[in-house]
Amino acid sequence: MTLLQAERGRRDLAEPERATVLWPRSDTPRRELSSRTISAITILAALLAWTLVTRLGLVAPLFLPPPQDVLAKFWTVASQGFIDATLAQHLLASLGRVLAALVAATLVGIPIGLAIGASRVGRGIFDPVLEFLRPIPPLAYLPLIIIWFGIGESAKVLVIAIAMVAPIALSTASGVRNVQQDRLSAARSLGATRRQVIRFVVLPSALPSILTGLRIALGAGWTTLVAAELVAATRGLGFMIQSAAQFLVTDVVVMGILVIAAVAFVLELGLRFVERRLVPWAGRD
Amino acid sequence: MSTLTLSNIAVRYSGQPRPAVEGASLSVGQGEFVVLTGRSGCGKSTLLNAAAGLVVPEHGEVSVDGRPIEGPGADRAVVFQSDALFPWFSARDNVAFALRVRGIGERQRHALANELLRRVRLDGLGDKPVWEMSGGMRQRVGLARALAAEPDFLLMDEPLGALDALTRERMQTLLLDIWAPGNLGVLMVTHGIEEALLLGTRVVVMAPDPGRIALSFEAGFSRRYAAGEPVRSIKADPAFTTARAELADAIFEGEPA
Ligand SMILES: Nc1ncnc2c1ncn2[C@@H]1O[C@H](COP(=O)(O)OP(=O)(O)OP(=O)(O)O)[C@@H](O)[C@H]1O
Ligand SMILES: [Mg+2]
Repeated sequence: MTLLQAERGRRDLAEPERATVLWPRSDTPRRELSSRTISAITILAALLAWTLVTRLGLVAPLFLPPPQDVLAKFWTVASQGFIDATLAQHLLASLGRVLAALVAATLVGIPIGLAIGASRVGRGIFDPVLEFLRPIPPLAYLPLIIIWFGIGESAKVLVIAIAMVAPIALSTASGVRNVQQDRLSAARSLGATRRQVIRFVVLPSALPSILTGLRIALGAGWTTLVAAELVAATRGLGFMIQSAAQFLVTDVVVMGILVIAAVAFVLELGLRFVERRLVPWAGRD
Repeated sequence: MSTLTLSNIAVRYSGQPRPAVEGASLSVGQGEFVVLTGRSGCGKSTLLNAAAGLVVPEHGEVSVDGRPIEGPGADRAVVFQSDALFPWFSARDNVAFALRVRGIGERQRHALANELLRRVRLDGLGDKPVWEMSGGMRQRVGLARALAAEPDFLLMDEPLGALDALTRERMQTLLLDIWAPGNLGVLMVTHGIEEALLLGTRVVVMAPDPGRIALSFEAGFSRRYAAGEPVRSIKADPAFTTARAELADAIFEGEPA
């Protein structure tokens, strides 16, 4: 190798590494347990404790049915149904409501967030509205929704959507406020119009924050589901749990809770996947 | 021949008791390469941003050919030290954004952006996400994006500040090659004393408290490059070494050692 070639090799190495790493990433081979493994162990331990407590008769099945009963119930409800609907039908009804509410809340929340983040007037109008709505528990405004909108499907979706608007709008607003000043300056000095700045700079910049807002909103949506399905529902996971509770069918209650948790988890994973595809640059620039 | 003129500029940031820049006058003609240098905090970025229209002066006027500017505009494209690229776009789309703003159709945008990337020696890297690029590559995308605006003036705030020495030297010749045809007026901020001398047809030294222009002189080294002399031979010229020492003295004049 000539000296010059050695120099060339060095020059390539001299290209600076861009990513700032606060904590070393856990994908470097190490002996320590990954947090994923620890999570798996935690879940197994909980399951074991549940089995033991019920097997040893420490808790009556009325209060906590054993895991195998819940699993058996899962199969019966899945195949034969519970209160005139199979598990899949209950699930679809709830999923439909949550997703419809998510779409509605996104359509309303993002423009509100943009207005709060990008305009003084917008902030003046919407800040107090959101601050007013945010802390109210869904069960508190539920009666009002029923009085105003009746007991149809749209009332249920509305109850869920109301709980979702604030997280989406606030995340959007914070994303908009945190747009890098230099990027705005760059767009303006290239001659971009206000519209172009919003569409090509502000919105994409805020997208990671918006997606985080959607995740928080989904969580809030599931939390509100049971309240929403108090309103004359005939199907839905929340409805299924409440009916089961009235008849003291505890294994269906527990099974319903686990199904909601599982579905919420799957949706969360889905959103994280979307995040990786849509904003791979987030946190790296 | 366009000229960008800053006359008697004073800038005071809101809430600040003292102006960041006071009484600064400067002009950049087409074909000129004006380098702003000086110690940290002496108002170089402030003055450049005033020229860009991104900062509104308290006193004084920025004008192009006698017409006062109304805010930022594509005739004065800016290259930022932070590169200010859009990470949600590929390298090509970053450049194409400047073309879209000019109302150029999608087909043409693609070809023109490729052409501009070729000019900054990034051929074939158009599809690469900018967040996967090195600092030097990113600065070149920023440069291509600024050139895409077809500006009369190119305003650059420490474009090479964050680069390693080798990349920096290559970028210096790239900047000279882009300026050499003579249809651009360049205003560039740098901390590099050698860089200021090598690139500038005029070197403007600022001093702090309040930020003002302390010294301005003509330098001929970049014209020698434009006439064909290699950078290595320019830097080896004793005149260059002498000028470098003098400039260093001027910048640090009045500063306790
Ligand atoms: N947005 C701002 N608000 C208030 N003060 C500011 C602002 N920007 C700059 N200043 C002040 O104005 C003065 C000049 O700043 P400026 O950034 O123009 O200096 P500079 O010469 O570019 O410095 P550097 O070489 O470190 O980039 C400094 O004292 C700085 O603290
Ligand atoms: Mg600066």
